[in-house]
Amino acid sequence: MSFLVMEDVTYSYEQGKNQILRGISWEINKGEFHCLLGKSGCGKTTLLKLAAGLLSSENGSIRLQGKEIIKPLPNCSFVFQTPTLLEWKTVIENVLLPIKLKRKIRSEDMEQAMEYLELVGLASYRDCYPLQLSGGQQSRVALARALMQKPSLLFLDEPFAALDAITREELQDDLLRMCYMHNITVLFITHDIAEAVYLSDRVAVMAHGEIVYQTPIMLERPRRMEMRYEPYFNELCFTLRQVMNGERL
Amino acid sequence: MKKTSVYSFLLFIFLLVIWEISSKSYSELVLPAPSVIVLTLVDGLLNGYFTQHIQRTAAEVILGLFFGGAAGFTVGVLMGEVAFLRKLLFPYIIASQAVPKLALAPLFILWFGFGMTSKVVITALVCFFPLLENTVTAIQLSDIQKQELFKMLGATRLQTLIHLKIPSGMLGILAGLRVSVVLAIVGAVVGEFIGGSEGLGALIIATQAMMDTALMFATLILLTIFGMILYLTVSWLEKMWMKRLKKEI
Repeated sequence: MSFLVMEDVTYSYEQGKNQILRGISWEINKGEFHCLLGKSGCGKTTLLKLAAGLLSSENGSIRLQGKEIIKPLPNCSFVFQTPTLLEWKTVIENVLLPIKLKRKIRSEDMEQAMEYLELVGLASYRDCYPLQLSGGQQSRVALARALMQKPSLLFLDEPFAALDAITREELQDDLLRMCYMHNITVLFITHDIAEAVYLSDRVAVMAHGEIVYQTPIMLERPRRMEMRYEPYFNELCFTLRQVMNGERL
Repeated sequence: MKKTSVYSFLLFIFLLVIWEISSKSYSELVLPAPSVIVLTLVDGLLNGYFTQHIQRTAAEVILGLFFGGAAGFTVGVLMGEVAFLRKLLFPYIIASQAVPKLALAPLFILWFGFGMTSKVVITALVCFFPLLENTVTAIQLSDIQKQELFKMLGATRLQTLIHLKIPSGMLGILAGLRVSVVLAIVGAVVGEFIGGSEGLGALIIATQAMMDTALMFATLILLTIFGMILYLTVSWLEKMWMKRLKKEI
């Protein structure tokens, strides 16, 4: 049975008029990594927010393990376009924020947070403030914070869009490693074709509020840097590029 | 930077010298020499003549600042957070902004008597508005993505306020406080002008009647020092807060 199911999801900002999403259906199985690819303004962020329970749809249903999502769930994490770290808190305090809002912080939480910081290679920055870190490091802290919720489902909204190419590739590997280690199901949004292909098990292309194309990605896991330069990878990228241009439907 | 502060000090000395020289050609009643003023000031401080006046004015300013500031902050937070209250109260706030608050001083003396209460009320009233306005704005300006993050983390409205909206608006709130502290002194002094036998404002009126211009200047210096201490305290608080937001410590 599918883990996350969207059925005929419709959304518009003004009731009835100006539809952002038109009858979208999608399914994700447990542990899979799916990407939604599309130009800006195609409604992909809206879809992600609906799935996360930050918005509610007017038609259709979104279910997680059979249960309707009407508000944000504790086992779902969201990583935003910007790192959204609290500038007045240290790195470790930021990572511990999800716990702090629920209960008192215990020593095992502290150890857990340090473990995640270790995982993203920032253990030595625990007492720094976010603005002392580079953009890539801030994104890593945001990932560590998302893990702190022990999510079974992770939503990411172009989290690496503002980073340089090399840093972005490093973070993509970090993300894949973490999701594999904790068996996390992922819905990832991007406008970067290579990123979508490298990360995903399945890519969907969105345009004008509809899913216009989808394809499985038959690359073995774990993904390696060389794969980015294989003919299969490039062919896929080219196809997706044409779809995004509206040339091939 | 250091050089400019030397020049700034030299300018101060230069101005003092000009004042000293030019005061020779006027009566002491019109323009007392700086040396005479400093003598009066030191003398007054040593023999305890100023003590009760300083205590009185300081008490009025601090009490007024406390009550006015606490009220301004609380109402500001409520109005920033609850749109209904904001819409309900804003016309009144604007209207009351247009009233010259110091012109109400005689009314407050009528209501609260010649004692300390009336001055504390006036001071509180003038402190109230700058802090209120800055707090309302600061609370509303917090980042939308960070608010969504808190929603995702299942934070309550109060938690979002305490952990996100107030700290993220802290600089704006402190800027309001900085204006408030300076106005607080104006409020207390004007209150004392109108009715009162104690306090530095009352002393200024008394020196005018006594034609002791040197004593008047000495009192003005005390008020200036007092204002600077308050102002620098808030600046220091701002600096402590800023330290976290800067790139380097």
